[in-house]
Amino acid sequence: MLAVSFLQWWYSRGWGIYFLGFRDRLRNTADFFSIGLLLKTLFEPFRQISANERAANGGLDAALVAFFDRLLSRVIGFIVRVVVIIGGIVCLTGTLVIGLIISVLWPLIPLAPVAGIILCTMGVAF
Amino acid sequence: MAQYHPNSMRANEARAGKVANSTPVKALLVLALVALLGFGGALLFVHRPLGWLLIGFAFVPLELMLWTKYELKMVPTGKSNRVDDLLSNECLVHMGKHPTPQQIAKWYANTRSGNFLATRYSITPRFMEAITANAPQDMAPFFDKAIEIREKTNSEVISGGVLAVAIIACHPNCEQILNSMKLEIGDLYDGLTWFNYLNDLVKGTKQKRHTGGFARDLMFGYTPLLQRYAQNISSRFETRVGRDMSIALHQEQTQQMIDVFSKAGRQNVALIGPEGCGRGTIVNDFASEIMDADNKISSRLKFRQVFKLDAGALISAAADRSQLEILMTRILNEARHAKNVILWLDNAQVFMEDAPGSVDISSILLPVIEGGSLRIILTLDEQRFLEISARKSTLANLLNKIMIEPASEADTMKVLQDRVPIFEYQNGVVYTHWALKEAYRLSERYVHDLVMPGRAINLLETAAAYPIQERFITDASVQKAIEQTYGVKMQSTHTDEDKDKLLNMEVFIHQRLIGQDSAVQAVSDALRRAAAGVRNEQRPIGTFLFLGPTGVGKTELAKAISDVYFKGEGEIVRVDLNEYVSADDVQRLIADGATNELSLTAQVMKHPFSVVLLDEIEKAHPLVLTTLLQLLDEGILRDVNNREVSFRDTIVVATSNAGANKIREYIDAGEDMVTIKEQLTNELISSGEFKPEFLNRFDEICVFQPLTKESLFSIVDIIIAGVNKTLEPRKISVSLNDEAKQLLVERGYDPKLGARPMRRIVSKTVENIVARSVLSGAADNGAQIIIDAAMIQSALN
Repeated sequence: MLAVSFLQWWYSRGWGIYFLGFRDRLRNTADFFSIGLLLKTLFEPFRQISANERAANGGLDAALVAFFDRLLSRVIGFIVRVVVIIGGIVCLTGTLVIGLIISVLWPLIPLAPVAGIILCTMGVAF
Repeated sequence: MAQYHPNSMRANEARAGKVANSTPVKALLVLALVALLGFGGALLFVHRPLGWLLIGFAFVPLELMLWTKYELKMVPTGKSNRVDDLLSNECLVHMGKHPTPQQIAKWYANTRSGNFLATRYSITPRFMEAITANAPQDMAPFFDKAIEIREKTNSEVISGGVLAVAIIACHPNCEQILNSMKLEIGDLYDGLTWFNYLNDLVKGTKQKRHTGGFARDLMFGYTPLLQRYAQNISSRFETRVGRDMSIALHQEQTQQMIDVFSKAGRQNVALIGPEGCGRGTIVNDFASEIMDADNKISSRLKFRQVFKLDAGALISAAADRSQLEILMTRILNEARHAKNVILWLDNAQVFMEDAPGSVDISSILLPVIEGGSLRIILTLDEQRFLEISARKSTLANLLNKIMIEPASEADTMKVLQDRVPIFEYQNGVVYTHWALKEAYRLSERYVHDLVMPGRAINLLETAAAYPIQERFITDASVQKAIEQTYGVKMQSTHTDEDKDKLLNMEVFIHQRLIGQDSAVQAVSDALRRAAAGVRNEQRPIGTFLFLGPTGVGKTELAKAISDVYFKGEGEIVRVDLNEYVSADDVQRLIADGATNELSLTAQVMKHPFSVVLLDEIEKAHPLVLTTLLQLLDEGILRDVNNREVSFRDTIVVATSNAGANKIREYIDAGEDMVTIKEQLTNELISSGEFKPEFLNRFDEICVFQPLTKESLFSIVDIIIAGVNKTLEPRKISVSLNDEAKQLLVERGYDPKLGARPMRRIVSKTVENIVARSVLSGAADNGAQIIIDAAMIQSALN
């Protein structure tokens, strides 16, 4: 009775719970690396550091200095964000691949003891 | 009729789950997993087929562990409306093959919700066993009731708590049982809702919150100045799920804030409401909402950080005004450039007026608010907002105002229920349902500086310091808290001795007051009614006007009332209204306690259980009397700060000498007291002394008769008893023979001045005689001094 109940659970709710967990892991990883936010602000100055105050108050020289300050800040910001995005993509891919493999193997797991018996009786030695 | 099937799939799973979730079984499964994997892995090098066999079997304990964790530990409810499908996991585990209400009463407190009700509502298993029977035939209607309660309380399952409430609700004497516990069935339903709410909160904390991750802040600027001069309240919501208060209570205002900041236009919000209404909590709720990536919030607002500006730190950091302005400008620039800051000016008036501890920087704030380049939240109370509006109308007109009203009783109770777990965790105590109710009731009456829910929260938190039976916070704890920390002296419950005193009040009063039978009778009847609960709770306990000549016992009766009803003569708030003769004196009467601790309102705030003695009321200015009308009528008086001061636990006694001569004339003419009272009242109204609406406000108008010589004989005894009480430490006693008393009465009688001349003459004679005897050594400790007429005569000479 309980064995039937277990198998029912494994192939219905259990599998569903696994998928929910898999989805949550993906979302948590994506949130941890803030990939969406980083993509939206890829070319923003690093930590909003800029010289716009000086530009507003000064002449052409000040405006030029401010422009290059801002450009430099944007380049630094771009590099930092790209590095984080790459790190995030690697982690996300890893989570996705592992998750998918387990998803595929999930229905086979209850058969593992049977597989073990078959392998043993057949004397398979790979 | 609902029926329970002990062999249903859920019941079997729940029982299996209990076994599988036990520590030995869990340990065994882990051990089996490790052993099979370990040996299997090792055998792969020695005997590979056997190694695979063991590894294959290693999945069995792993699967069982997963099944136990995600299914058996908390078997989900079924889809039907049958009892088997709705009973909670804990109940299924405890329920026997043939359950009865009495069996359920034995174990329901072992479930989480059952224990919750048992501790907070004192529904103990012993009590429940006493009201239940071992009758299996009762189970069908009982389960029907449980299903109904589950639906009414929106409970996910039929929990132990639901079963407990069903037991009480099914009892034929349900109402009687609840009455004995000072409960209503709605209170128990409320208890289940409370448990469900806390249960959901606990579940919520187990979920991970998406708050943008570690790279989120790369988008925004550095804020070194804000880190120094402000507090980032959003940071606390990065890891924590849930808010400080019930979401529903302030959902509307929070959503309004989100709407204002999500759209283009003036990027500011002014939360206006009295202190304690939850302005700060709304800002916290708002900060929490916009930190959650899963919420549907505009990207313009998501992950913005709310910084609460610290006015004290700012003012102390700047040497003078110009430095402060420079610092403030830098902070505003930093906040603007960071692009993720929402600035919160709590008690915004501090930044808009020049006063100790505050500085007017509105000229700097105005362009920022006008331009909308920086999001700003201001919180302040209504009065301050009106003041600012009057002085700086441009600024006030630019604000998006959100008004916040004090919470209702139902909402306040929800907030209290929400806060209780925090207080319990911080103080290691358990709050009962009655503590929450009492916190609401008492704070509404005696805490004047805040509005709901703040005032009830404060009181409830304070009560944690006064646990009963080691760790329970009950209504008594709350009463003690208000006594100890708010200086409000609470009245303790009436003991048997007190009840005896109330029943024989006339006797007790006559021990210190001679005559005046009709006045004593009227007062005693009114106070007995009040003590028995037969009174209007929305008025003072009693309001009396004592009319009569001086020295006849009006004040003495007020003191006697205080002694008998409030257990002490000291519980008198006395106001001489001959000091309130001009219209301006009204302000003094209702002055703030901080400026005038002797004002009527300030004294009653401190002593809400007292006799309020308004002496010589006829001398007060008519405006003063008009001010007192609401006090007499509704038991409420508003002080200069517009705070309601409750007089509903006081006995108000007004005394007046008005019409004293008339009383004497009527008595000489042989009129009875009822007629005298009627005629006197009419005359006081027609002469313009008092307005009819004023006299009508009193429960009783008591006419005091002038003292006769016969009454003075008894008064001499009372005065001598007072002298003896003074001499008690030296064990000296004084007694007078009849001739001496006669002489004192002859010399001390003055029909116009009542008993007062008698006190003076006793002081001049008896007390002088005793003093001389003690000083000369004629009367040593323990001596008995007998005074005769000759000694009195000699002292008088």
